[in-house]
Amino acid sequence: MGSYRVFEPSFIWYAIGKILPYIGVTFAVVITTLIVSILFGALLARAKIRGKWGKVIADGYTAVFRCIPSIVLIYLVYYGLPQFVEHFTGVDINNWNKGIFIVLAFSLSFSAFISEIMRAAYDSVDAIQHEAALSIGLTETQAFWRIIFPQAVRFALPNIANIITSLMKEGALAYTIGLIDMMGAGKNIINMNYGSYTLETYLGLFIIYWVLTKTIEILFAQIEKQLSKGRKTIAG
Amino acid sequence: MRLNTEFMKETFWLALEGVPITLKITIIALFISIILGFILALVEIHRVRVATPIITAYVSLIRGTPQVLQILIVYSLIPSLLNAIVQKMEINFSVWDIEPIVYAYIVFTINTTALLTETFRSALLSIDKLQMEAALSVGLTPFWANVRIIFPQAFEAALPNICTTTVNLIKGTSLAFMMSVKEVTAIAKTQASYGYNFIESYLDIFVIYLILCLLVQGIFAIIEKQAQAHRKIVRSV
Repeated sequence: MGSYRVFEPSFIWYAIGKILPYIGVTFAVVITTLIVSILFGALLARAKIRGKWGKVIADGYTAVFRCIPSIVLIYLVYYGLPQFVEHFTGVDINNWNKGIFIVLAFSLSFSAFISEIMRAAYDSVDAIQHEAALSIGLTETQAFWRIIFPQAVRFALPNIANIITSLMKEGALAYTIGLIDMMGAGKNIINMNYGSYTLETYLGLFIIYWVLTKTIEILFAQIEKQLSKGRKTIAG
Repeated sequence: MRLNTEFMKETFWLALEGVPITLKITIIALFISIILGFILALVEIHRVRVATPIITAYVSLIRGTPQVLQILIVYSLIPSLLNAIVQKMEINFSVWDIEPIVYAYIVFTINTTALLTETFRSALLSIDKLQMEAALSVGLTPFWANVRIIFPQAFEAALPNICTTTVNLIKGTSLAFMMSVKEVTAIAKTQASYGYNFIESYLDIFVIYLILCLLVQGIFAIIEKQAQAHRKIVRSV
């Protein structure tokens, strides 16, 4: 650790240039996890809203997976799942793309978080809206997709932004099992320079991640503003 | 594959020995962060020149970047920085003798303070201005109006978020193994690699983290109830 060398700010920009090409991998993890988690989270949320035993199970699932550190889930899925699958099916999944394990691991916890957001968003829409929709002759499905859903989405927007940024930040752990995303690329730069530009590389990553989260936050704030505009005209 | 229950039991007790370290990091970081975060939130709200923008930037930077990156940066920056200072001032002290856990305290305090600053800021802003005016009108000085009326309400409003932050802090300490701190995850990791008993080891700490978090949530539920107890009395009178 730490050789005596003057800090080299210009290397930060060099590192950023080398890391940015891997932004696609980072986003691929985020987007795939998001899709899987939304699908599974919707099932959980539905169980929480409608189910009896389903609600108990879904609530229990959420309580459990809220408590487990991402790194533990990653290790459990990456090292544990192949042993498990091989024993029961005889299939060797050790050579699967590491991204798959990462997406599976994060989907376990993020579907729990997303189900909570969905439930809260659903609850935020007044029950009268549902009754009103049915009273004018909409079917249950129509009432949900045309009346409840759009209002719930607007309510959930800030939380969705939060989920995406925290998924991106947690995703930085993927390098621990060797996935070459932005963090992995940064680690490679450090290794190639025998550890001499460690701090500069990390600072480059720090800047990239910060800019990305800020961009997502600003983007969602804009969308929220846009959607609220419509609301005002209707109310006024 | 059959779960090696013997190994699992053994590792469970071994990993439990890491719990005090995990809790030590959590409690120390939380304690400092609550105090520091509250002060920073006050400064941020009162628009102090120079200080407020710095605090806002600090909170934004920490909240906007991965925790693992913060750990890696602090762990590669502080020892070299300290070493340079020590060398320059010709102090007879070896920086490499500092216990790794000290860096864990530093990282998690930096991180948690930023989160709690934001929590306290929004909690303080949630208190109605009328509360202050009412307190002043009955003759309290601004200082006592804050201490007796505003702050307790702000703390109560902040409690759910402090609970979430604490749970996330415990989860975050699982990364302390990167600073070679021998906490729960570090022990399980070492155990797992001995005999490739990955599932067993990580299931063990899965359970340990679950218990820890449920305990924390339970404790906060009690504190919240306590904090709200006075409300009911006021209302029923």
